[in-house]
Amino acid sequence: MVDRSSRLPRRGFLRAGLVSGAAAIAPVVIPGSALGLDGAVPPSERVVLGGIGIGGRGTYDLGCFLEQKDVQFAAVCDIKENRRVAVKKIADDRYGTQDCAMYRDFRELLDRNDIDAVLIATGPNWHSTAAMAAARAGKDMYCEKPCTKNIAQSLILKDTIRRTGRVFQAGTQRRNLPHFAFACELARTGRLGKMKRVYAHPAGMQAMTSGWLPAEPAPDRDVVDWDMYLGPAAWRPFNPKLLDGFNFEKGGGLVGGGVLEWGSHCVDLCQWAVKDCDPPVEYDAPKDGQLVARYADGVELIFREKDWIPLGSCPVRFEGEDGWVEAGDSGKLVLSSPALLAGRSVEEIDGYPATFHVRDFLDCVKTRGQPKGNADAACNAHIACHAANIALFLNRTVRYDNQKQEFVNDTEANRLRSEALREPWRM
Amino acid sequence: MGRLCLACGLAVAVSLAGGSARAQDGQTPAEKELIAVLRSGAPEADQALACKKLAVIGSADAVPDLAKLLSSEHLSSWARIPLEAIPGPGADGALRQAAEKLSGNLLVGVINSIGVRRDPAAVEMLAKKLSAAEPAVAEAAAVALGQIGSAAATQALRAALAKAGQPAVGSPQASALAEGCILAAEKMRSAGRASEAAALYDEVRKAPVPPQRKREATRGAILARGDAGIPLLLEQLQSTDKAAVAMALGTARELPGQAVDRALGATLSRLPPSRAALVVAALEDRPKTVDIGMFLRLAQTGPKEVRLAAIAALGRVGNATTVPTLLTLAVDGDADVAGAARGSLGNIQGTDIDKEIRSRMAGADTKLLPVLLDLVGHRRIAAIDAVVPALEHADAGVRAAALRALGQVVDLERLPILVEQVVKPRDASEAADADKSLLEASVRMPDREACAEVLSGAYAKASAATQAKLLRVLGAVGGTKALDTIAGAARSADPELQDVSSRLLGEWMTADAAPVLLDLAATAPGEKFQTRALRGYIRIARQFILPVEERTAMCDKALAAARQPAEQKMVIEVLRRFPSVDGLRLVAKAGTVEAVNPEARAAAAAIIKKLVDVPSDLWSAVGPLGLVKANVEIVKATYGAGANQKDVTELVRKQVGGSNVILLPGAGFNAGLGGDPAPGEAKTLAIEYTLDGVAGTVAVPENAEIVLPVAKAG
Repeated sequence: MVDRSSRLPRRGFLRAGLVSGAAAIAPVVIPGSALGLDGAVPPSERVVLGGIGIGGRGTYDLGCFLEQKDVQFAAVCDIKENRRVAVKKIADDRYGTQDCAMYRDFRELLDRNDIDAVLIATGPNWHSTAAMAAARAGKDMYCEKPCTKNIAQSLILKDTIRRTGRVFQAGTQRRNLPHFAFACELARTGRLGKMKRVYAHPAGMQAMTSGWLPAEPAPDRDVVDWDMYLGPAAWRPFNPKLLDGFNFEKGGGLVGGGVLEWGSHCVDLCQWAVKDCDPPVEYDAPKDGQLVARYADGVELIFREKDWIPLGSCPVRFEGEDGWVEAGDSGKLVLSSPALLAGRSVEEIDGYPATFHVRDFLDCVKTRGQPKGNADAACNAHIACHAANIALFLNRTVRYDNQKQEFVNDTEANRLRSEALREPWRM
Repeated sequence: MGRLCLACGLAVAVSLAGGSARAQDGQTPAEKELIAVLRSGAPEADQALACKKLAVIGSADAVPDLAKLLSSEHLSSWARIPLEAIPGPGADGALRQAAEKLSGNLLVGVINSIGVRRDPAAVEMLAKKLSAAEPAVAEAAAVALGQIGSAAATQALRAALAKAGQPAVGSPQASALAEGCILAAEKMRSAGRASEAAALYDEVRKAPVPPQRKREATRGAILARGDAGIPLLLEQLQSTDKAAVAMALGTARELPGQAVDRALGATLSRLPPSRAALVVAALEDRPKTVDIGMFLRLAQTGPKEVRLAAIAALGRVGNATTVPTLLTLAVDGDADVAGAARGSLGNIQGTDIDKEIRSRMAGADTKLLPVLLDLVGHRRIAAIDAVVPALEHADAGVRAAALRALGQVVDLERLPILVEQVVKPRDASEAADADKSLLEASVRMPDREACAEVLSGAYAKASAATQAKLLRVLGAVGGTKALDTIAGAARSADPELQDVSSRLLGEWMTADAAPVLLDLAATAPGEKFQTRALRGYIRIARQFILPVEERTAMCDKALAAARQPAEQKMVIEVLRRFPSVDGLRLVAKAGTVEAVNPEARAAAAAIIKKLVDVPSDLWSAVGPLGLVKANVEIVKATYGAGANQKDVTELVRKQVGGSNVILLPGAGFNAGLGGDPAPGEAKTLAIEYTLDGVAGTVAVPENAEIVLPVAKAG
């Protein structure tokens, strides 16, 4: 009888609640009372939040924010009327008021001086453009992933966040889950020995929708604002099938697919495991179900489709000369040796909740520290994903110079680093 | 590559193949074709696609045709994709020329592209646009000049910024001018021209621009000056403007050098405690120059908010020298202080910390000893010899902490000590602690079979109540020995042990429990436990990765053991989930029981739909279920009640699959047919079809089986 789970080194599975790992992972920097953790929070201490593009994922994120006592959700912006109304109802029901304002144009929301931070959960088409507009407006932001559409956007986004002094949290919530954090820590701190390989699982690398579909009659702008929906994307006629922001523009070229959709999580974790260093400098063409990239120090980042221990979605694996660790969304870890646990215990949380990530963001809004999914870290992971996408696209090896921020002697690849935005939008 | 591909509607990869060889005129055949598309008056979608491809392979030859699209409302954005990407002066020139002719958003887009290309030849034109009547054009020009960042561009921005009140304070134009200046100043700073940058930042700070731009300029002014910027940083920290303070807290983390730490430390006493605590947090984020001594002082005296921040900081940046202070604070009368100190002691990295904690155990009083024991457990410090005696301590708090610690650090050799605490607890409270610790220790043991031996040995000698506890621990441990012991308990005469063990087996995490469960399905004492065992067996068939033959064999055995329709339906569901020819044969056999006939028919139809080929003898086998091989074409299908009908022809067509039975996805017709056309009313699905060329109709009540009647021969 074959059962793969029975072959796992079961001692490597960490049980929930062995010892709370919370103290080890939660940044405790200022008193809980100031963070609104111990009861009612005065209005002056609350983070006033606005939401931009609150569909399915955004509604989940919003729920995590609304759980926090020190958050006041004040306004929603969406190009779809039904989403505006639905989110307003959620907020108003939460507070027992009718105060949640609705906007069709996010610039009006950003103009409000009383809003401290925004949740950006539009489709990927808008993420970086909206994030940079929010930064220029002086708002902190929790921005869903993939955060950028290309390498140039990644570079400009992190520069913009730094220049404007904003707190940026990418929607990479796995950085705030104890088992992933522990796995990365094992790699970062040398417990696995000299690092050799890190593996990411960018599942489902297939475009699902063409970028241009036949024109259909457009609804009234107040119902669906197609022009705002297109935003920075090159123009195309209205077609309701493109209103799925998740898939919009995936067919438009190098804007994502599974490499970005999942890589923004699992490659991000790999980046953390290698100390958030610069992205790899070499990316091979895909072969036998995997794409190998190499960091400057020779460590390999391997995008791999198969041969994972069944630990749930978004698995990562880190291999050093002295051991390895693999983790996934089940909340479990598998270790090459139980000795790797010595000195630490890890809470097992499955379902990759964003609650801790949201809390991390809010704490940093108050302290001005760097959250786990900060712009530098997130953008480096995105650059690695975009570069891998370019190697996939060109089906050959490409080499990237992190100092010059360009591919080495490679005109084709360099032309794929950026893409013009539709007027009047800019980076 | 399997799924590693980019199969996109507008993909350009295909066109790249063979497109790289350039002719003497510099064009590749692919580029010529794309330019021809642009010249042909092709549909906009085709021209857009051509633009996208030219972004990768286009040369200067493509520029004139792309430039013509810059005045097109629909295609300008597509044309700028290659025009931003194509190297050389041709594209720059085309964009500059377009900027002289266009207006409105199209002009803004072109200016944005000029900014992206950083075209120095565009400075003069852009400088003129700073006073454009259209505000959006002036804003775009200002930002583009900042992106170019040359001396001439910077001079143009400076001149515009110096015109006080033009544009209006706080206007978007003023904001964009400031942004352009800051972008230029950032370039200067990164190029090592710090003093020039500082001067430009200062100009922005003094100009009538929006507060956010002033704060950005202030940050730049501080960073450009280095240590000389510290007074400005401190001034910002004293500000009544919350946003200015926030910017300063971020900047404090960026500014290098120890002078910053000293200056910030000295200013703490002059700040309100809540703000001072935030500064301490900022200091904590400066690991290269951190002053641990300062944190130690702040942790012990002063406002509570600052103390707590300092204590938390020690948890991150502290070392062995900070342990004594933190231990003192860990037993402080103030619960917040004590809690923060304990948290920090748990967080500090380093094996020397462990040694320090270990050394403090001897002679610790009843207040400190529980703290040390918890730290031993939390940090997994190898200190079993010091923990075990504490199990007999006179103080209950110490004993409880020792139990917790032992659960984290005990090894296999001394696991019996913990077992003994479970077998013979001092009282009910300690019994619960001991149970928890034994569970935590047991699942951590590297050799689970050896661990199970210890536990099983204790089980054999324990009272019935303790045996139930040990069984639960064995269940968590798993492995062959644990399985044997639990299977034995399932056959015992004790109802509690039967109950506990059958539950554990029903949730067993490895497939080796299957034979045990199948045996218990027939031999367990009582129908309740037999059913539980059978369901556990079926669960393994459903959930585990198994070869198809093995799964089918398990289902066959489960059907033979199943006496009730509920379990028979569970088996049928397994077979439906994992379609196979042999599985279909089993479903046909199972369907002979009338109580599960509909489930078997649906499962058989679902399996047939997924199988590439169904052997002819199997069609005979499923015949009694009412299933026949059929070529079905749906002519029309409507769903609804009365006048509220919706056309569901396409939806139903998609579900046709080789037989006369149609299965809809989802739970119920409303889910499978795209919604409820007549809420609250009894609905019907009316289908017109041909079956093997013979026309027919059928009206199916909502959520009933969809079985197309087959015309009888003759």
